[in-house]
Amino acid sequence: MASTFSGISTALSGLYAARRGLDVAGQNIANANTEGYSRQRLDLQAVGGSTTPAMYATDPGIGNGVAVRGVERLRDAFLESRARVEHTQSAYLAALREAYVRIEDVFAEPSDTSLQAMLADFWAGWDDVANHPGDMAARSQLVQRGAVIADGLRAAYEGLSSQWRTLRTQTEAYVRDVNESAAAVAQLNFTIKRAEAAGMEVNELADERDMHLLKLAELVGATAVWRDDGTVDVLVDGSTLVSGGIARTIEVVGADQIGDATTNPVRLRWADTHTPVTPEGTLGAMTELLGEILPGFAAALDDVAATLADTVNTLHMAGYDVDGGTGRAFFSGTTARTITVAVTEREVAVASAPGTVDGSNASKIAELAKRDDGADARYRTLVVELGVAALTVNRRAEIQERVTANVDAARLAAAGVNLDEEMISLLAHQRAYEAAARVITTLDSMLETLINRTGLVGR
Amino acid sequence: MAIQLRVTQQSIAARVLAGLQNNLDRIGTLQEQLSSGRVINRPSDSPTGTVSAMQLRSERRIIQQYVRNADDGLGWLNTLDSTLTTISSQLNRVRDLTLQAMSTGAAASDEAREALAVEVDNIREALIALANSRYLDRPVFGGTTPNSVAYEMDGTYVGDNGQVWRTIADGTKIRVDVTGPEVFGTGPTQLFAVLSSIADNMRHNPAALGGDLDNLDQAITRIRTHLSDVGARANRVTNMRQIAEDRLLTLDTQLSEVESVDLPWTIMQLSLQEVAYQAALAASARVVQPSLLNFLR
Repeated sequence: MASTFSGISTALSGLYAARRGLDVAGQNIANANTEGYSRQRLDLQAVGGSTTPAMYATDPGIGNGVAVRGVERLRDAFLESRARVEHTQSAYLAALREAYVRIEDVFAEPSDTSLQAMLADFWAGWDDVANHPGDMAARSQLVQRGAVIADGLRAAYEGLSSQWRTLRTQTEAYVRDVNESAAAVAQLNFTIKRAEAAGMEVNELADERDMHLLKLAELVGATAVWRDDGTVDVLVDGSTLVSGGIARTIEVVGADQIGDATTNPVRLRWADTHTPVTPEGTLGAMTELLGEILPGFAAALDDVAATLADTVNTLHMAGYDVDGGTGRAFFSGTTARTITVAVTEREVAVASAPGTVDGSNASKIAELAKRDDGADARYRTLVVELGVAALTVNRRAEIQERVTANVDAARLAAAGVNLDEEMISLLAHQRAYEAAARVITTLDSMLETLINRTGLVGR
Repeated sequence: MAIQLRVTQQSIAARVLAGLQNNLDRIGTLQEQLSSGRVINRPSDSPTGTVSAMQLRSERRIIQQYVRNADDGLGWLNTLDSTLTTISSQLNRVRDLTLQAMSTGAAASDEAREALAVEVDNIREALIALANSRYLDRPVFGGTTPNSVAYEMDGTYVGDNGQVWRTIADGTKIRVDVTGPEVFGTGPTQLFAVLSSIADNMRHNPAALGGDLDNLDQAITRIRTHLSDVGARANRVTNMRQIAEDRLLTLDTQLSEVESVDLPWTIMQLSLQEVAYQAALAASARVVQPSLLNFLR
């Protein structure tokens, strides 16, 4: 026979369990919109009777109530790791896309005011001078248009260069972010390990660590490996960033201006061993932009400037100016940054023969506009390459965004709080509490009968 | 889309937000196209379209310049044409005077011959002034000379043999001047020398006028030949100019085909997008609001 009072403790355990259930539902509802929060569930277990009855035992075989085994964090580990992969790719493409938008803004094609229009005006200026070789106004207009092109090329180069500097500074900030997050993960690993050893719930800490892992995935494409003691190892490019409670740091080295970007590329390396790190995610995009894409467009712009200076100068040097001078270059400098007009209006070599008012040399220069390998054609090639690259990145980013959004939605569906569900859970636990209380009342009135009303016959 | 067994308020909110963002993004694109009037606003909108637009623009600028070159060339040719016409009619008068002097011969009085000679002298001076005609401050018969005149008042040529050309189409250059030596001749048969000789012979040796007349006829023929040549060139420039103008129109049409918005289509798309956006807003307002909370006491 079981103890007379055993039923009371069974009901009491029900009361406790229901109260924990209400607490958990309350926590879930309170965090319905907390970023990174995963819903929690009360893990209950019925307390059975003795599993191996002793000889002459009097166990009735009925259980002894309910025990709270723990509070579980509900999230889909597979979806989480997939989300990290997709977020890495998404962050990479988003950073590239943003950069390409800015590069396209630098060139501002097609329009009536861009470099192409400046070039067209410049060539037309040569034709005007060819028509009126003796006219100082036409010459002065031509020199001004030459200066406008030089300014336009310089402005475009400066646009690329200032974008490069911004990205370089951003890279430093991102690397700091990575190191801070890595340190945070290490710290959390340490805390979680200790808390688990002490048998404490670590759900909120684990949520926080997951957020840091996602951030690391976005920033450098870090991957995570779970270990049995509850800690997480973080790997970047095959090397350990965080192992247990210890975090390493990454540093960024290399050029600090676009001109040196090809000879001394900006790269990431481990602060301790100095071995290089090939990042993915945002920093992957950053190193690609800093090392290849922006310097590539700057080089193409330099090529346009060099071609312009070269083709115009070759013809210009063969002509004669107002005072019979010859052999002068029209442009000085052969890069987009350094190109300037080197002549005054009297020194423009318009004539093919000295001492004549002849415009045939200017007319020859004007025909450079149609050359297949001239500055115009090269500039157009540059713009096409930019357009195609930007378009490709845009499309890839759009697709990736959708994939990421879907994975995120699936992740939120698995780990997010459903208010209806919590309402049901509130109701269920409330009812359970009421019922457990009723059990106690019933037992109480039963005992009342036994203790106070039994054996009173004849009193 | 993944099959989901579970839906939460957050996942609905995330999807609704993504959907609304998409919708708004499309509206933004359409509105940018409408407000700029162009389909291509940056190279990535259409890389090939961008290049076509850039090429069409620079070709347009080149052809505009051809039209201006042709206008300038026509200025030269018209100046040549009117000058040569005047010169040619003046020479007919000289021929009349010469014939008159020849018919009377030495029999005429000194005064009468002197009067004829003076008239020829005057015409000669007027012709030298005409041969110094200028277009935009350049002597049109002076080649590429930096001097302000082609002929000194004594009839010596001070221009050079440079030629003035204008580019009026791809690979087409047209000469828009005639140098003095070409049209007026050189040496003893040079027009002004012939005229001097006529005046001189009228005064002193009417018998030699026969040879002068031959030289004069040669000069007149030469000028007429050049006059018709100038006319033909002017005609050609006018034609090419017209072709260039037509090409400009074609280019404008092509450019607008490449980069201008199709207004009715875009406006229709915009209205469709707006309707879709409003529907999405209305739907999301309904979906996100109710929960079991609304129905529990």
